[in-house]
This record gives sequence, structure tokens and C-alpha cells, in this order.
Amino acid sequence: MKSLNILLIEDDMIEVMKLNRTISKLELPHTIVEANNGEEALQFLQKKDELPDIILLDLNMPKLNGIEFLSILKNDDVLKYIPTIILTTSNNQQDLLECYKIGIAGYVLKPLKYEDYVTKVERLLAYWSINELKQL
Amino acid sequence: MSQEKIDILERALAREKAARKQAEKILENKAAELYQAKQELEQSYLELESLLNKTDSQLQGVFENIVDPYVIMDLFGNVLKMNDAAVDLLGCDSIKSYFNLMDLVHPEDLQSVAESFQKLLVKGSITDFNLKIITQKKEEKLLHLNGSIIYDNGQPVAAQGIVRDITKAKEAEIQLIESENRLATLILNLDSGVLLEDENRKLVLTNKKFCELFNIEETPKALKGQDCTTVVETHKILFKNPELFIAQIASILKHKQEVLGDELEMRNGKILERDYVPIYEGNVYKGHLWTYKDVTLRRKYRKGLEAQKQKYSSVIANMNLGLMELDTKDKILMVNKSFLKISGYTKDELIGKSAQSVFPVEGDLESIREDNTERIKGKSHSYEVRCKTKMGTIKHCLISGALNYNLNGEVIGSIGIYLDITALKTLQLQKEKLLQELEKSNNELQEYAHIVSHDLKSPLRSIDALVNWIKEDNKDKLDEVSVTNIELIEDTLEKMEQLISDVLMYSSVGAKAMEEETVDLNATVEELKKILYIPAHISITILNPLPKVQGDKTKLKQLFQNFISNAVKFNDKAEGHINIDVIEQPEYYQFSVKDNGIGIDKKYHDKVFKVFHALNKRKDSTGIGLSIVKKIINLHKGTVWIESELGTGTTFYFTLKK
Repeated sequence: MKSLNILLIEDDMIEVMKLNRTISKLELPHTIVEANNGEEALQFLQKKDELPDIILLDLNMPKLNGIEFLSILKNDDVLKYIPTIILTTSNNQQDLLECYKIGIAGYVLKPLKYEDYVTKVERLLAYWSINELKQL
Repeated sequence: MSQEKIDILERALAREKAARKQAEKILENKAAELYQAKQELEQSYLELESLLNKTDSQLQGVFENIVDPYVIMDLFGNVLKMNDAAVDLLGCDSIKSYFNLMDLVHPEDLQSVAESFQKLLVKGSITDFNLKIITQKKEEKLLHLNGSIIYDNGQPVAAQGIVRDITKAKEAEIQLIESENRLATLILNLDSGVLLEDENRKLVLTNKKFCELFNIEETPKALKGQDCTTVVETHKILFKNPELFIAQIASILKHKQEVLGDELEMRNGKILERDYVPIYEGNVYKGHLWTYKDVTLRRKYRKGLEAQKQKYSSVIANMNLGLMELDTKDKILMVNKSFLKISGYTKDELIGKSAQSVFPVEGDLESIREDNTERIKGKSHSYEVRCKTKMGTIKHCLISGALNYNLNGEVIGSIGIYLDITALKTLQLQKEKLLQELEKSNNELQEYAHIVSHDLKSPLRSIDALVNWIKEDNKDKLDEVSVTNIELIEDTLEKMEQLISDVLMYSSVGAKAMEEETVDLNATVEELKKILYIPAHISITILNPLPKVQGDKTKLKQLFQNFISNAVKFNDKAEGHINIDVIEQPEYYQFSVKDNGIGIDKKYHDKVFKVFHALNKRKDSTGIGLSIVKKIINLHKGTVWIESELGTGTTFYFTLKK
């Protein structure tokens, strides 16, 4: 299985823990880079020396929120090629439409049950690890 | 011979000689006298002769130049002599024609002519005798004749006559009489009462109408010659103010000047109009003419017209609508009070000015012009404009314009009725603004609901993860009670999650604008039957095909989903039946969803639609479902109610507008 560099943009500490624990539990080869909000993520991405393969993005965040971050990302000639998957609790149709309009690679709802979460993440990462991505 | 003798002889001779001389002298004188006399005689004869000649020619001239026809005839009627005028009259060829006058007499008149001739012979003359003749040119003529007999030595020898042609005069006279008769009839039957009095106030002429107006029973003819003072006096009581009536007549007669259009009110309600015209011949007052006209109808009509005019003027003046009349060149002709109030101008500031320059219309002139062209085409309709008042403020007016025509149907201008809708417009604008704000705040609320739900749901996820981790990390270390408790925590989390979702959904219904489209409810229910979890012992039947309605597809789906899942959830029977039906009404469809489930106690029938009123504590029931249902139905302008019996089942009824 291809090892992915994953940028997780998430302000909730436990959510970060959830992803990390899921990956370690499933013994997946992927690397997680954490950013607590959009600004932090942009700072990291601006360096452009270690760009992630995919981005998992939460929408409701303080400071720069998910959609604002997405807009900036998609306006960047280099960064716009990074597949960005939304990982959120909100099934607000308006948000969903807006995200697809700007350009996302997926929209995954965080389920209530942890087991369901593990299942969803497993499938999501499995999917992306078999995808051909742009060489950055 | 004596001397003496001689002397005597001598003296005798001398005397003789002297005597002879004297005689000679006398003779001489006589002869001279005679001569003188003869001379004078001759002279006088000459004079006489010339005089005779003169008279003769004069007579001849007179005879020939008499203007009236003149004829001399013998006693048998043969013409002896006549002048040119007579030739013309009798239609002869020339003055020399001789014929018998009796041949010309009209057969009708032969008798009277014969009698008159006898009379002429006896009396010697005849005057003013009229007779009809037929001239030699076969014209019938009426003649007037004065004649006399010519005598010679006391014996009648001829007759002479002067004749006049009175045919035309007679015709004129007849015409005059006829026209007099006509005039008399006219006066008699005139629609005005006429009373002609002479200078002594004796009645000369009156007519039927006068008698009618004054209630006089005698005929107009019978009244002739009566004293008008009495007539008037006896009839004064017919008038509302009899004394004034008499006094006025007296005053008018005193001044003897024309008085026209006096109005008199009568007791019986009639109104008479009276004219007085004095009649003068030269400068001599000969009487006067009264005419009385019944103007009651006219006056009443005029009064009615005036009252009506007054009414409409007052309506126009006081109505709450502004009114402006323009001529064809946009010049203001008339405005009413309300218009002044709307425009802020005084009347003087507006009359005669150009409407567009004084009270200009703001904004889209193009569309207004278009309207105006429509108006010129003769269409009358209303349109909305914004006008600038004197104070510079903007007024919204609804104008109803119409062309103004004269009696010949030509356009002479237009009339615009202005309704000041500024207040209404302000309200409307305010409403629009409020609606916008409402939409905005609804959107914000929706946004807020999503954030809240997200913020509430996120911790639930964290707790679930953490609990799971505890479970995982302490596998085999936890006792049975702790495991059960942890499972209870997980159930509670699920319930909490459901609650948050429902609240979010409830607040979402109606927050977003409804999207109207045609929704096939049959398809909707069929789709739901596939999506929803329906246990094997429960059957859903659509009794009558459901209609297509106008509404929000998602919300209508939610509606049926709630009804069906409720019916499924609360069914305790071995075989569950859910029947969906519809009845078409003129204005709406009435739907029913009937189940044979646990039923709802009557006392809860009202409460079930209230939010958070779950009747049954269940993991999958939050008490919000029916509230959402009610909200959706209300949005579609329908109503919802329940029929239910505890233990046997429930029927939900609801209506949706067509």
C-alpha cells in the first residue's frame, strides 16, 4: 500500500487523536501532519518543500475557516492540485454545495460512533492510497 | 238884305258850322273808339284762341298721360277712346283697337255689371265697382272702376271710366288675411300666455295658454275688451305673493319700459317668467304686451342640474383624491384642494403653468411617456409615478388619467386623478426591507442552527471516541456493570445526536424560502417505501392515486416520512396496516394516513403537534416529528388534525392547497 503524506487541518484535539489512533490501530503506513487551523496550514504549505499528498479538512474552525482556506488553496497554482477531502460534522447542504463548487475531492461526515469513524477513515485512506497523484 | 238879316244869317251859319264841326269831332272820336274796340277784340280773340289751343292740348296730354287706365265708351260698351295704360290692362294690341267692353266681362260678373250699368245711367256715376274680366290675352283680372256719364245738351252720349287692376292687391290682401289668421292661430295656441292691452288697459288679445295659466274658464275671444285691471286683480291669489304681483304690475306700467325675464312664483308651485313690452306708435303709447312662460320644468331641471353640479363640484373639491385638468399643451386648467395638498403649491402657483415643469415626475420618464402615448390613444388607465412637491420632497402618486373631450368629440385635454400613495409606498418599501431583513436573519438563524448543531454534535463524537478508547484500553479489566454503563453512555449519546438533528431540522423548515414545483406525491410515497425501514409485518397501501401538488419537494417528502415512520414506530399489532388516501375538494386535497397502531388518547390530540411533546419515551422518538409536520403543512397553507382511539389506531388528516 502506498504511504500517504496527510495534512490534517483540525482544531479539535480529540479529533486529531482519533485520526492518529485510527491509523496506528489499523497499522497504516501514512504520515500525519497536523495543523490546528487554516492559517497554520497555509504557513506550512507556503514552504512548499514538503507538500502533502492529500488534505483532510475540517470546516468549522476558528480564524480562517475551512471554506476560506479552501478558496485560498484553490487559487494557488501549485497547491490547487492537492486533493482535499472535507471531514466534518456538518451536513449543511449550503456548505457542501459551496465546497464542491470551489473544488474538493470528497465530503465525509464524521459519524457519531467511533467504530463507524474508523471504518470510514479506513476506506477513505484505502481509496486515496490507490490513486495516482500529481508529483509535486 | 239887311245887315241885320245878314247878321242873323251870318250868325246862323256860324252856329251851323260849329255844330257840324262838333258832330264831326264826335264821329271822329267814335271811329277811334271803334277801332280801339276792334283792336282789343282782335287781341282778345287771339288770346282766347291760344288759350283754347293750350287747354285742348293740355287735356289731350292729361288724357294720354293718365297713369291709371282710362276708357271712354259709348252707351253700348263700344270703346271710343282709351289710353296706353288701358291698352296694357285690357291686353289689346294697340290704342287703335276698338271692341266692345262687355265681351271682356267674366261670365260670373255679367249680372252685376249689367245692374251697375243701369245704376250708372240713372245716377250719372259709379264708384268703387269691382269686376272680373278676361283680357284679350286670356288673363283673368280683377278690376276696380270709377265711372261717369258724358252728356251732350243734357242727353247721355257716352261713359268714361278710370280702371285699376287690383288683382295683385286683392291677392296681397288675401295673403295678408291668411297670414293674419295664421298669426292669430299661432298666438292663440302659443305655448306662452299672451296678453295684449291697449293704452286704457282694455284687453285686445289673449290666448289659450294665458287662460290656462290664470285658470280663466272663458275663451280668449270672450275676454276681448275686458278691463285688465280687474282680470289681474281677480287672479292675483294664484300667486304666492299677490300684493307684490299687483305692485310690480303697477310699477312696470308706471315706467312703461321693457322688462324681460321677471320670475313669478305661483301657489301651485309653478314658476312663470314674465316679459313686458310697451307698444309705441311713433312716440305715442298705444298699449303693451305681456307674455307669461311656464318655466317650472326648466327651472326645476336647472335647479337639479345646479344641485348636481354643486354636488360633483363639492365631491371633486373635497375628495381625498387630487385632481388636475390639463389642456392639450400640458397647461394646468384646474386643480382641487387635495391636489394642492399633495403638491404643496397654492392654486395661483399652478393654474396656467406647465404641469411637467411645476410638478415634475421623477425617475423613469421613458415608461411614463409610453404610458402617456397609450393615454393619447384613448386608453384610460392608472400608473404609478414619483413627483417632486414644492418642498422638494418626493411623493408617490397613483395617477388615473383620461382624455377630456368636448361636445364634438375632439380631445381638448386630459384629467388626471392623483392618489397620494406615499404612505402606502413607504410601508411597502418598509415591508420589502423588513422581508429582506427577515430573510437575512432567517439565513443567519439557519447558519446559527448549523453551527450550534455542529458545536453540539462535535463533543458527542469526542465523548464516543473517548468512551470507546476506555473500553478498548481496558478490555477485560472492566466489570460487567461498567460495560453496561458504558453502553448506556453510548445510547445516550445517540439520543442526544438525534435530538440535535431534529431540532436543526425543525428550525430549518420555513427558514429557507419554499421552492415551489410540481410534486408527484405517488412517486414520493413509493420512494419513501423503499428508503424507510418497514418491518415485514407492516403494509403500506395507497387507496386512491395521490395527486400532483405544488410545493417544496423535500419538505413534502419529510411530511410523508414523518407520518409513515410514526405509524410504523407506534404499531403494536401482529399485522400492521398503514392506509394512505386522498379526497379531492374544490380548493384543496384532503389526505389521510391511517394506522391500526397504539392510538393516541383524546386529551393529547392537541399536544402532539407541539414541539418536544413526545408521548412515548423511546430511543428513536424526540417529540419533534409532528411539530415539523405541522410546520410543513402550514407552509403549504393547509391544516392538520387527528382522529384516534387508544388501542385501535390513529388517522392523521391534513390538507394541501391545490
